[in-house]
Amino acid sequence: MSCHFEEDLTAYVDGELPAARRVEVEAHLGGCTGCRATEALLRHTVARVAELPDFVPSVNTRRAVLAKLDALPVPWWERLRTLLRPGVLVPSAGLAVAVGLALVVVGPGPEAPEELEDPAVMELAANLELVEDYELLGLDSPEDLEVVASLHELEVAQ
Amino acid sequence: MLKVAAGDRRAFAWLFDRYHASVARFAFRFVGDRERAEELTQDIFVKLYRNAKAYQPTARFKTFLFRVATNHCLNEVRRGEYRVAHTSSEAPDGEETGGVEMAGPDGDRPDQALAGRELERAVGDALRSMSDRERAAFTMCRFEGMAYRDIAEALEASESAVKSLIHRATLAVARRIEELQAGTVPARSRG
Ligand SMILES: [Zn+2]
Repeated sequence: MSCHFEEDLTAYVDGELPAARRVEVEAHLGGCTGCRATEALLRHTVARVAELPDFVPSVNTRRAVLAKLDALPVPWWERLRTLLRPGVLVPSAGLAVAVGLALVVVGPGPEAPEELEDPAVMELAANLELVEDYELLGLDSPEDLEVVASLHELEVAQ
Repeated sequence: MLKVAAGDRRAFAWLFDRYHASVARFAFRFVGDRERAEELTQDIFVKLYRNAKAYQPTARFKTFLFRVATNHCLNEVRRGEYRVAHTSSEAPDGEETGGVEMAGPDGDRPDQALAGRELERAVGDALRSMSDRERAAFTMCRFEGMAYRDIAEALEASESAVKSLIHRATLAVARRIEELQAGTVPARSRG
């Protein structure tokens, strides 16, 4: 275990060494029985760990998370909706609308096309950032938020 | 204009559907307990949306997610709220409250030295014996198949540090499996 190549062997087994170092390790393995034994042990271990059954989370997790989001002070989608109301749309907000609608059309499952992944993620982040900016306006008091909620109701009634 | 808000909520739900199994798997291997893993998973997703502003579009989303997940799990363990307890070794017989679904054939084939349950226990013991960061790096590498570079980003560490963490952790698991194969492991772990 005192061989100084030993500490690179797991990265070697994982295919994580730079090419030059990989060549050196390969050459070394030819002449070092200790490292060859360690390499075999590591490969065996990686293979055994891969056999472990997958952890399957309970089906209640999703509902629990959405309930926790609902329980937060004011649902962020409500505030986002209010934010979009004045018609002064920040460019990324316009995109968010498009992505939001696209998701409604396509559906939320893992079958959503790959290319939706990054735009959806980024627009989610952008939306949340808008909401955070909105918080900077100081609308965190219950009264203000109630007003905001009412404004939204008025808008829907139009 | 039909429910922009609903669309946005679905965007979040879509992210959840896509990634929650990964986060739950990570949390389970990290704390070794089903119930606590699910609590942690819920908290991580709540935190995720509250901290979405910190998301850098340059970072891959999964890396960002695992940074949030890792920080959360490390903090919870440090606060002592979640003792790392691999129930597979706490309750070696009978039903395990924290056990995993045994999907597919377990290791009862004669050519395999360890049955699935024993393997689970050996890995659980090894995970419990290592440092938090070793366990986090090992879990992301072995159970999520993440590249060292991405693990380094999630752990806010250098790649060479991650290489050492994963090497030490893999050796620890290797030794535990060897011990078990040699029949030198007592029925209860030494905690
Ligand atoms: Zn050597």
